Amino acid sequence: MLIDHLRTSDFRNLSSLDIAFSPGANVFYGDNGSGKTNLLEALFVLCLGRSQRRAQDQVLVRNDCEVFRLVGKVRYNGRSQELTVAYQRGGKKKVELDGAPIRIVELFERHCVVAAGPEDSEIFSGPPSVRREFIDLYLSQYSRTYLEDLRHYYRALAQKNAALKREMDSTPFDALLARHGSRVMKARAEFTDALKKPAVGHYHTISGGEHLDLAYQPSIPFNPAGSIGEIESLVVQSLDAIRKREAIVGSSLIGPHRDDLAFRIMGQPAKTHGSQGQWRTAAISLKLALYDLLRRKRGVAPVLLLDEIFAELDTKRSHELINLFGGFDQLFLTTALEPPEPLRKGGCRYRIASGTVQEIH
Amino acid sequence: MYTSSEAVEKLISRLSRLPGIGRKSAARLAFHILKLSPGEAGELADAIKEVKEKVGWCSICCNISETDPCPTCSDPRRRREIICVVEEAADAAAVDKAEGFNGLFHVLGGRLSPLDGIGPDDLRIKELLVRLTGVTEIIIATNPNVEGEATATYLSRLLKPMGIRVTRIARGLPVGADLEYADSATLARALEGRQEY
Repeated sequence: MLIDHLRTSDFRNLSSLDIAFSPGANVFYGDNGSGKTNLLEALFVLCLGRSQRRAQDQVLVRNDCEVFRLVGKVRYNGRSQELTVAYQRGGKKKVELDGAPIRIVELFERHCVVAAGPEDSEIFSGPPSVRREFIDLYLSQYSRTYLEDLRHYYRALAQKNAALKREMDSTPFDALLARHGSRVMKARAEFTDALKKPAVGHYHTISGGEHLDLAYQPSIPFNPAGSIGEIESLVVQSLDAIRKREAIVGSSLIGPHRDDLAFRIMGQPAKTHGSQGQWRTAAISLKLALYDLLRRKRGVAPVLLLDEIFAELDTKRSHELINLFGGFDQLFLTTALEPPEPLRKGGCRYRIASGTVQEIH
Repeated sequence: MYTSSEAVEKLISRLSRLPGIGRKSAARLAFHILKLSPGEAGELADAIKEVKEKVGWCSICCNISETDPCPTCSDPRRRREIICVVEEAADAAAVDKAEGFNGLFHVLGGRLSPLDGIGPDDLRIKELLVRLTGVTEIIIATNPNVEGEATATYLSRLLKPMGIRVTRIARGLPVGADLEYADSATLARALEGRQEY
C-alpha cells in the first residue's frame, strides 16, 4: 500500500492541503505548531479511521467548522483507489472507497501503519486505558478477527453496565462477554509474547545495555496456553463469582476492559521509576518491534509515521535508528532539524508552516 | 429549506419523523405529494388511515394481523409443535418467505437492550410462555448481533429447563457468496460452525 496523494479540508489546523507524496521517505520540516504532527495524524486517520493520539473525532474538526474531510489516493498492488474519511460534528464517521461506503474494520484489513511520536510517553506514564488502546490499535492490524471480537465485547459491556445501572437482568450479556472476552484475552497474551523479545532486544541496543521488560496483566488471570474454550469457561466462572458485587456496585468489575500491560525498566516499574528519555527509547523499541511483527505477519511493510523521533538523539543514534527501521516502502517523517543522512537522498522534502505545505526541490 | 406554506411545513415535519427519512428526503416527498392529483393523495391518506384501523396484533403470536388469530396461527397445515421466535414482524415475514419453515411464529417486538431501557418485561415473552403446551422445539431467530444473542441466551435459559428443545439459526456465509469477498469475522464464524460432509 502506498499513499500517493492527500487532500484535507478542515482537519485540525489544516484547512485545505493538497499534497502529492512519493514512495520512500517524505520528510516534513517545520517549527513547532506548524501542523507537522497534524499532517501525520491526518494520514493515520485516513488509514485507520481514528487518531493515533487518542483524539476524539470532534477534536479533529477545525475550530468553528462543522466537517473534516480527508481524501487520499492510495495504491493497492499497483491499483490506485480514492479513499475518503469524513466526519461531521454530532454525526457518524463516513469512510468511502471509490465512492462506496466501507466499514472501519475494512480499513484495518487493508492498511498497516506504525506511528511513533512524543505522545508515546503516555504508554508508560498514563493510565491503563492508554496501554489497552495501544495494544488494541496494533493488535487490530495484526489479527483479522481481533477488532470484531473487541467491538462485540465493548458493545456487550455497555449493555451489561446499562442493565446493572437500571437494576435489570444483566446475565444474558455475560455469555457474550465470555465468548468475545476470552478471544480478546488470548490474542492479547499471544501478541504481548510475540512483541516482548524484539522490543526488549531493541531497547537493549538503543539504550546501550539497559533492560526493558513487559508483561500482559489480565484482569482475569488465565493460562495463555489453554484453549479458547477453557479460557471462556474460566471467564464464565469468574463472572458468576463476582455477580453479587457487581450488582451492588452497579457496574462491571472484571474482564479485558480492566487489563493492563506492565513495563519495567532495569527491574523497576517504568511508570514511577522511568525517565522521559527511557520512556522515549522504550516507545521507539516497541514501535520497531511492532513494525517487524506486522511486516512479517502481513507480508507488506507498514507505512511509517515518525513524529520528531530524532529530537533528542545525536547523529549516530539517529543513524542507527533509521537503519533499524530499514526496508520501509513509505515513510513520513517530521523534524525541526535536518534528518539523518540516509533520509536525505531520494524521496521528497517539504516545508510546512501554519497549515500549508510546500515541496522543497 | 423553509417553505412559505404552513401546511407543507407540517407535512415535511411529520414525514421527517419516519425512520430513515431526514429533512431533505421529507421535503422531496412532500413536494411529490403536492404534485399528486387529489384522488392519488386521498388514496395515500386512506391507506395510512386504513392500516391503523384494520391492522392489529394476533393475540397468540403477537405478529401484525388484520384478524385475530392471524392467518398463520389459524392455518391447519402448519406444524404447531415448532415455533420460530423473531424480534420483529418483518423478520417473521422474511423467514416465512424462505419457505424452509412450516411451523408457527412468535414475535417478541424487540430485543434486550438495557441501553435503550428494554428489559425482558418489555418483550412479549409471557405471551410465548403460555403457548408452549405441545411444543417440542423453539427456533430462536433473533439477529446475530450483541442484543439478539443476549435475547437468545435469555430465552434459552428460560425454555431449556422446561424440557423443550431450543435451537439457534446458524451463522456463517450467505448462500451464493464468494469466499474471497467474505469479511474475516463471518468467515471465522463459518469455520467454527463447519459440519461433517
